[in-house]
Amino acid sequence: MTLRVSRRNFVAGGATLLSLSALGTSALAQEKRLRLLWWGSQPRADRTNKVSQLYQSKNSGTSITGEFLGWGDYWPRLATQVAGRNAPDVIQMDYRYIVQYARRGALAPLESYMPAKLNLDDFDKAQIEGGSVDGHLYGVSLGANSAATVLNTTAFKEAGVDLPTQATTWEEFARMGAEITKAGKRKGMFGMADGSGGEPLFENWLRQRGKALYTADGKIAFGVDDASEWYDMWAKFREAGACVPADVQALDKNDIDTNTVSLGKSAAGFAHSNQFVAYQAMNKDKLALTNYMRIKADSKGGHYRKPSMFFSVSAQSQAVDLAVDYVNFFVKNPEAAVLLDVERGIPESSAMREVVAAKLDENGKVPLEYVSGLGDLAGKLPPPPPAGAGEGELMLRNIAEQVAFGQLSPADGGKQLVTEITQILARG
Amino acid sequence: MSNAMRTPAGAINVERYQGAVAEGRFRRLWNANAPGYLFLLPWLIGFFGLTLGPALISLYLSFTDFDMLQSPRWVGIANYVRIATADPKFSAAMHVTLTYVVFSVPFKLTFALLVAMALNRGLRGLPIYRAIFYLPSLLGGSVAIAVLWRQLFASDGLVNAALSHFGIEGPSWISHPNYSIYTLVALSVWQFGSPMIIFLAGLRQIPQDMYEAASLDGASKFRQFYKITLPLLTPVIFFNAVVQTIEAFKAFTPAFIISGGTGGPINSTLFYTLYLYQEAFGNFRMGYASALAWILVVIIAIFTAFSFLTSRYWVHYDD
Repeated sequence: MTLRVSRRNFVAGGATLLSLSALGTSALAQEKRLRLLWWGSQPRADRTNKVSQLYQSKNSGTSITGEFLGWGDYWPRLATQVAGRNAPDVIQMDYRYIVQYARRGALAPLESYMPAKLNLDDFDKAQIEGGSVDGHLYGVSLGANSAATVLNTTAFKEAGVDLPTQATTWEEFARMGAEITKAGKRKGMFGMADGSGGEPLFENWLRQRGKALYTADGKIAFGVDDASEWYDMWAKFREAGACVPADVQALDKNDIDTNTVSLGKSAAGFAHSNQFVAYQAMNKDKLALTNYMRIKADSKGGHYRKPSMFFSVSAQSQAVDLAVDYVNFFVKNPEAAVLLDVERGIPESSAMREVVAAKLDENGKVPLEYVSGLGDLAGKLPPPPPAGAGEGELMLRNIAEQVAFGQLSPADGGKQLVTEITQILARG
Repeated sequence: MSNAMRTPAGAINVERYQGAVAEGRFRRLWNANAPGYLFLLPWLIGFFGLTLGPALISLYLSFTDFDMLQSPRWVGIANYVRIATADPKFSAAMHVTLTYVVFSVPFKLTFALLVAMALNRGLRGLPIYRAIFYLPSLLGGSVAIAVLWRQLFASDGLVNAALSHFGIEGPSWISHPNYSIYTLVALSVWQFGSPMIIFLAGLRQIPQDMYEAASLDGASKFRQFYKITLPLLTPVIFFNAVVQTIEAFKAFTPAFIISGGTGGPINSTLFYTLYLYQEAFGNFRMGYASALAWILVVIIAIFTAFSFLTSRYWVHYDD
């Protein structure tokens, strides 16, 4: 038997299919549909999906579909979807990328919805500012966090070393680290992680010196001297055995699983406060949070409270009103706040903060108390980083590794870092 | 239409006549092959829509500045000029990739051939062994592999534990810039499944009577391998070498998984494709990344053409 399809039939069939699919889209558009995209782990997805279900149960006829990926896969996916005119309605956004996406017209400005539909009255003003670009609100902060040192208190105790306090300086901390290493209570465990390639650490250290990583207009805001001194400080720590050697630090892929504290290779490591619960879940020992060390006993302002992440609404969205309503629900509904806990950071709304604080378990309280207790260590939120910042971060780490492996002197490392970052920023 | 063809040749419009013949031939071909094309349709749609189309678009994009959010802007050959003259990361990535190709392909093929020969000795339960040896290839580049490789090659890993019995204190191989690339080579060699299967099929093709005749003449096992197995296997070796070389140039996941996407430490695992990926999706330079991709295509094409040109000197087709 031969199968015969005439061209006419073929065209007619195709046209029918096409028109059917067109029908499908228009029918679906009438229903209230929202698409969400965020990065994170399974526990975050569970919490988020529960909030979506809660929202659907209170708003019949809405359907919300959510999708999540790891940080590394998230940005390619989002960029591809935006480029393909297929962006999700609600987008989880990071401080690093918000300027890029906002300036290129991918996000919807939200200030016109305030305060009636988007009520951020009891938000910390600085955190609302953090989601603004060129005078428009493009992101609603989902929680505050700050960079933090994670301490394995059990390992400190075993080595007979006191925990650092808010007043501890880097020099003192390095001595403590060297003591822990020398005590050798656990095989292969050193005092602290090698933080020379960590951008938050470097930024904190620069801010205590009255400098910064980048200026508000996207230029480099530190010099060769700063960078060289930074690499030199860590070279001395390495030499003294205060921090892990280069090949151990290089195992760290900048995530929770491979941080040297999680791998059991150091008693102290560097992270963000909202990750504390996840760190504790990975570690049998009791962990604690403290600030990054001071450069001198009286230096301050290195830390800042940072919006850990935002919800933004796509400029391509067919349902901006609905998306805004969902975001408002996400940050202002008490039931939603309880579901979300402090997993994305500490709620920005003071009312929600109280609701959550009352229900927190022991581990959940640690980041909350840490961030609220920063005192004079916390300063102003820096301007959002420029477009080349991601490349700059890799460069800081790359050169730190070259110094650590002995391929570059700290002085040359500092010189090279400034040259490279200046070039990266010029290229954009 | 058919009337025109029956009229005497001198009396008709030649162009129309040829057109009619062409149309007739087309129609005949169509009638004969329509079902075939219909069955091919899914593949054809895939090929034109998902392979050829995007490839051509990327060729266009390679001459533009494109950040995926705004429309592409034509910049001529600026991307190619930068790659050729002012991109140290390009040369670093090229160096890493060539090292990987040069080490992984021969080792992997040798290993695959050894295992295939071991399996070809009429073992009982061959399908089971074949499946077991193929298993690592199925695992590909998963997160589990990243964890496993860390357990093996980190400072306190299995490899160093074994070395310590000989009094050697090894570094953390996987995170040391001098050695990390070789842990990826080891991963590639370990995933020897698909060339092994092909070698096994190739070995089966070699007539047994040749070996029998050779042993009657007193040829040693080694001589048999060198004079019979190897020459008769050259078409299969050639095929495997070409395929594995292309695969090695395109390798991405091992480095992505094991270095966490950074290509570190110090760009020591910055595969070409990983650099391309960083430029495209990390730094939103889709135009530049497209140019990098086309340069890789040309490099692979040159290598493949070179293999085919030299093949006539060492590949024996026993027709």
